[in-house]
Amino acid sequence: MSAERVRVRGLNIHRPIIYGNIATVLTPKAREALAATLPDHTHTWTVAVRGAASASDQDTVGGADDLSHFIKRVTFKLHDTYPIPSRNVDKPPFEITETGWGEFEIQIRITFVPDAGEKPITLYHHLKLHPWTATGDPEIPPLDVAIKAGPVHSWQYDELVFSDPFQTFLATLTTHPPTPLVRSRRKPVPFHVSNLPALEASKGGTPEFTAQMEKEEAERLEEARKTVVAEEERWRMKLVEKEKELEQLQKLVAEKAQ
Amino acid sequence: MAAAGDIRSALDLELVPPAPPPQKKAAPPAVRKPEGISRELFSLIGPSSTTLVAQLAKPRLKQKPNLGQGSKIKWEWRAFKNGARTDSLQLHHWTKASADPNEEYQFAKYNVQPVAYTYSQDEYTRFLEDEEWTKEETDYLMNIVREYDTRWYVILDRYDFPSPKERTMEDIKDRYCAVCRKLIRNRPWAGDDASKNLLMASFNFDKDREVMRKKYVASLEGRTKEQIAEEEALYMEIKRLEQNERRFKRDRDDLLRTIAGIESGLPDIVEDEAALTGMLLDAKRNKRKGGDLDSPATPLLGGSIRRIPTVPKNTAYDLQHCITRTDQTGTTKAAHQPAYLRSFKLPFPKASVAPKVSQTLTELGVSHTRLVMPTHANVALLEGLIDAATSLVETKKVVDKVDYDIQVLKNRLGMQGPATKMEEGEDGMEVDDGNDAEGDIDAEGEDGRAQSVVSTRSARSRKQARRSVSVSSVDTSATVSTRAGTKRQRRN
Repeated sequence: MSAERVRVRGLNIHRPIIYGNIATVLTPKAREALAATLPDHTHTWTVAVRGAASASDQDTVGGADDLSHFIKRVTFKLHDTYPIPSRNVDKPPFEITETGWGEFEIQIRITFVPDAGEKPITLYHHLKLHPWTATGDPEIPPLDVAIKAGPVHSWQYDELVFSDPFQTFLATLTTHPPTPLVRSRRKPVPFHVSNLPALEASKGGTPEFTAQMEKEEAERLEEARKTVVAEEERWRMKLVEKEKELEQLQKLVAEKAQ
Repeated sequence: MAAAGDIRSALDLELVPPAPPPQKKAAPPAVRKPEGISRELFSLIGPSSTTLVAQLAKPRLKQKPNLGQGSKIKWEWRAFKNGARTDSLQLHHWTKASADPNEEYQFAKYNVQPVAYTYSQDEYTRFLEDEEWTKEETDYLMNIVREYDTRWYVILDRYDFPSPKERTMEDIKDRYCAVCRKLIRNRPWAGDDASKNLLMASFNFDKDREVMRKKYVASLEGRTKEQIAEEEALYMEIKRLEQNERRFKRDRDDLLRTIAGIESGLPDIVEDEAALTGMLLDAKRNKRKGGDLDSPATPLLGGSIRRIPTVPKNTAYDLQHCITRTDQTGTTKAAHQPAYLRSFKLPFPKASVAPKVSQTLTELGVSHTRLVMPTHANVALLEGLIDAATSLVETKKVVDKVDYDIQVLKNRLGMQGPATKMEEGEDGMEVDDGNDAEGDIDAEGEDGRAQSVVSTRSARSRKQARRSVSVSSVDTSATVSTRAGTKRQRRN
């Protein structure tokens, strides 16, 4: 036993995941079916934790890879008004589908397989029901507008990092290499509040995470840094000038004081 | 059959990875028969026998330059403007009559100004303090270097600063390069690391080595004729001795080999020993067959090759499995870092400047609390961006402070006229009262613009400037310089 529980030092291994939700306005038929029990529910939504790459033969966001080789359980903690708000999902797909009328914060708890020897990770996702806006501010349009806009997607890419993993766990992970993200865009871009200009590009169907998005974000950050550095350069020149002026003034004051 | 690698190692040459498989042989291009050789002969010997071809081919001479022929070119004595000149000196030169008279002077572009590095007081105290140099002298040095365009001999000649020490060229070069290096290293850099390192390297200056080099040159040039002759004689003598020694060793080696065979050891002859061990190792390696083609071609010493069976270290493999490796040395067995989400480790600006930094970033359309794709590389980029923004905000703060000090001093200078001390105080109070009512509202409104990246003048400084009127005259809380100024006034 002890011989196998060896950590591989100096090594980090990560798995790209996405978490988030898709929300659709209920069809009139579905609303009728719910009318007796939950008359105020307007949307149906699915919250999920998936691998980041999308399968090319399916119309879902992400989920090309099965994550159950390292995730044992995902617990979604819904709003307290739902029956049994804390839902455990022990096998893939790690997702919950529900109906509702309002947005709220969902607590997602990812428990790893025992072999990993890692504590569970807790993260939060804001359930998004209403379409995105150009400013990123929440806004609730009338239902018919929302229906026209189509399903609402809200996904966050992230990476689960394991440092110095156990040898056995590392072996498990390396036997399941994640599907790499597709190079360039072939479907809409997943919308993100940190990249508001991509709103238009996010419309028109099921989005997909691509390696291009990472590159574009890197470029945005690099561009911003260049701007900041250039700006600082300007301010520094100004500072040097001002300091010279100050020095002269100090001399003047000193002369007068004598 | 000995492989090329075996022979190489037997000869104690570096092992080279086997040559890549020969590229698909392109069909030999149809070679044209050179002149002066019959077709039959050429098809027999082929294009490869160069000596024949070279002999038979006619010598090709350069074409004669076409001098004096063709149309005549007219030249004119013309005045021209040098765009790189700041004065309006008018010079003349010969130019082709066909040339456009409005054309830019072609050598103007070579007037390149070196980047002049300047630094603020704050930067000086943080990075550039040096026991040997005062700030005044450093300022003087930077100015003179700029003035004389880093022409060091001129700079040394004109260098005239009342410093306690006589400065040599190495001193001033060393100081200049050190200042530039430190500034580059500590300032946020817009480009990538490679270009930064390149620029840093251009300011590398090893003073001791340079001094030593000059000493050597001086002593080399300072030899007398006799000394040179003696040196040469000695050199020849050494060469001769070395040759003798080598021949002697070779003879002895041959003798030993013929007598004792390969086990003779040959302790004194270094080359042979190395070759021997190389051979032995090679034998071992051949036994292990399987040939580690990608193992580095390092000389194998002692024959103890420890190979820990770990995960293959291969970038493609790492990329596929999302593995990053960190330097293992230095990590202790202390605490295990639990699994985490990459976005948990997003860098955060220092608390003291956080609001302004985040505002700056928001203006640039970057959110520092969330990333679309929080990958390892992007998190690192964000960190660089936050560092740069922090530095910008801090610079602005210093500008504000200096601005404020300037205003204080200006006001003091303005008020130190004929007015008496009493009147001054009253004046100050009145101004202060008048300002506070409207000023603060104003300032509140403008505060947002204060940290704006695009704003040219910080509003905070304006606010402070207004307040400064009261501060300078009513000796309450203020910055150090204000108080100092007030005291001086009192003494007066």
